[in-house]
Amino acid sequence: MVALLVGMCPGLDEGLLRSLRAADIRTVEDLVSSDIEDLAQKCSVSYKALFAVRRVLLAQHTAFPVSGADLYEELLSSTAILSTGNPSLDKLLDSGLYTGEITELTGGPGSGKSQVCFGVAVHIAYHLKQSVIYIDTTGGLTAGRLLQMLQTETNNRDEQMEALQRIHTFRLFDVCALLDCLYGLSGGGGGGLHMACVGGGSVKALIVDSVSAVIAPLLGGKQNEGMSLMRQVAAALKTMAKDFSVAVLVTNHVTRSGSGEAQPGLGVSWSHVPTTRILLERVESGASGRRSATLIKSSRQACLIKEDFDLQWWSRAEGGRGGGGGGETSGKRKLDETDP
Amino acid sequence: MKRPVSSLSLGSSLKGKLVRAGFQFTTDLQDLNPEHLSAEAGVSQQEALEALQAASSGHGVAPVTALELLQKEEEFRSIVTFCSQLDEALGGGVPVGKVTEICGAPGVGKTQLCLQLAVDVQVPAVFGGLGGQVLFVDTEGGFQVQRLVDLAGAAVRHCSLLAEDEEQRVAMTTFTVETILSNVFLVRCRDYVELLAELHLLADFLSNRPRLRLLVIDSVAFPFLRLHDDLSQRTRLLQGLGLRLIAAATGHNIAVVTTNHMTTRLHSSQAQLAPALGDVWGHAPSIRLLLRWEESRRLASIVKSPGHMDASVQYQITYQGFRDADQSERPPSKRPRSQTDQSASSRKNTGT
Repeated sequence: MVALLVGMCPGLDEGLLRSLRAADIRTVEDLVSSDIEDLAQKCSVSYKALFAVRRVLLAQHTAFPVSGADLYEELLSSTAILSTGNPSLDKLLDSGLYTGEITELTGGPGSGKSQVCFGVAVHIAYHLKQSVIYIDTTGGLTAGRLLQMLQTETNNRDEQMEALQRIHTFRLFDVCALLDCLYGLSGGGGGGLHMACVGGGSVKALIVDSVSAVIAPLLGGKQNEGMSLMRQVAAALKTMAKDFSVAVLVTNHVTRSGSGEAQPGLGVSWSHVPTTRILLERVESGASGRRSATLIKSSRQACLIKEDFDLQWWSRAEGGRGGGGGGETSGKRKLDETDP
Repeated sequence: MKRPVSSLSLGSSLKGKLVRAGFQFTTDLQDLNPEHLSAEAGVSQQEALEALQAASSGHGVAPVTALELLQKEEEFRSIVTFCSQLDEALGGGVPVGKVTEICGAPGVGKTQLCLQLAVDVQVPAVFGGLGGQVLFVDTEGGFQVQRLVDLAGAAVRHCSLLAEDEEQRVAMTTFTVETILSNVFLVRCRDYVELLAELHLLADFLSNRPRLRLLVIDSVAFPFLRLHDDLSQRTRLLQGLGLRLIAAATGHNIAVVTTNHMTTRLHSSQAQLAPALGDVWGHAPSIRLLLRWEESRRLASIVKSPGHMDASVQYQITYQGFRDADQSERPPSKRPRSQTDQSASSRKNTGT
């Protein structure tokens, strides 16, 4: 509902506005959907003037169709595919994270969602040399772990520091702060995003870990704002992804369905928001770092394909890759064994 | 990108009135003065002012690069547990700024570890500690002052043996059993309402006491175990609680330690022990330590952590507190059995 304001179009002056208000026409929708002859008589305004105003307002507020060919051209020129750094995950995601889309990682506690987010952030910052925005709502962001992952990529301290400077972090713990942050980043024609890419490269990825931690407490019970705020967050993320060509990666928790199966949290309303969804689970047997990823929603590949991968892939030693990511423990160094 | 008015942090009735009057985006609210807005939307002057302030402010905080975060992290020490193997696995000890959960069957040593941490956080900075105070929230009644005195005495003796130079000797004068006890703030919460109320007041408490470095909640499961008739309410309360603890930990740079019980979960028709309160609570702590029995040994495992590998170490609980396991294979019955050593007497009750 768009309010009628002075100067919105030529012909809509103070006098006309006042008489329209007196006839209880406050918004563009009211004007467009009412009978012009009737209105002209009630407000004692000329029929032609009112008709002209109505035509201009309609033209201003209509959406225009785009042909499929144009859309395809635009997509080809603006979409990029960002590899996650792990070949098994890339296979599930059809070669990586697509810009302009929201990808969701879901899993129980300790299933590796934050580790995958760290790995993706480090890969994009170091290998692709693009900036990453990381919004942390769980308090699990440990810069020491990011450094550990970088140290297995390169021994050069300057390069490590440079890559770390490309990862911009926010720590927020409630949904209003999250909305402020998202709109602040996108406001002013992407002003916030441009400010964030000082270290060279533009912002290509936005990671929110996790989106369910701030929204889930608001749903249910006698609270009626929860669904609305969830939709606001979804709209903000989608518009950012589309308008600024960034790949959005979010994490979600799981709930148990009636039969004990794990399903993604936040309900059916949220399930329409991400384009691709992956469920992470611990593999009971095998080395401690092994996880299995199942594709549960995708518009490009057959669903329910499963891949096993190793969380230690992002901290493997250079020459120590066994088949499918390997279970090398030598590649991962503990936090207290950093290089002098 | 225009920001819709319904995403601002205002009351829902105020937002409804603004939207019905045609103000859909915050850009519509710019350049309006409060009188004009209150006349247009039919809201009071006060509400109009509030709405205009919310629309023009609120662009979020500035981002912190990962490099700056790394530098800040390196400044903060961890709280040692006095079990050197566990400290090594944790990269120094229980980290500050994160929520750590200790889960385990009854009698395995969760309260003992909490008491040990309450003493260890007060170790003076010259010895590598934090020299901080601790808030101990007890929901089960497991806090025993006499045991804390024993642990404090052992820690003081340990540090006075280590004191080498003048600075450390001066620090030892302020590190005595009396001062240790005076730096522990004990709160007894009998049910979940009192626990939530206490955490509501936490922010004020923390700002009045800048030296506070540790918050222990022993245990977080006990008050919520009785809420089984309204599980959705319990879920919401737990999620809100988790978020508040994480915000306190990161905002005030304190270490938050919670303890949890174990419950049985059916997994492919096999009964397994899993931490209580479900997956909902499982997402709240960043680090999870599982204490368990294996035959006659006590093991501590890191089962969830963003920065450490999964590891299992052996520990034992002695008269002096939480310590490394003895390397020799002495049977545990050789431990000195004093009346304050509750772990030895409750050891017989555990079955896992």
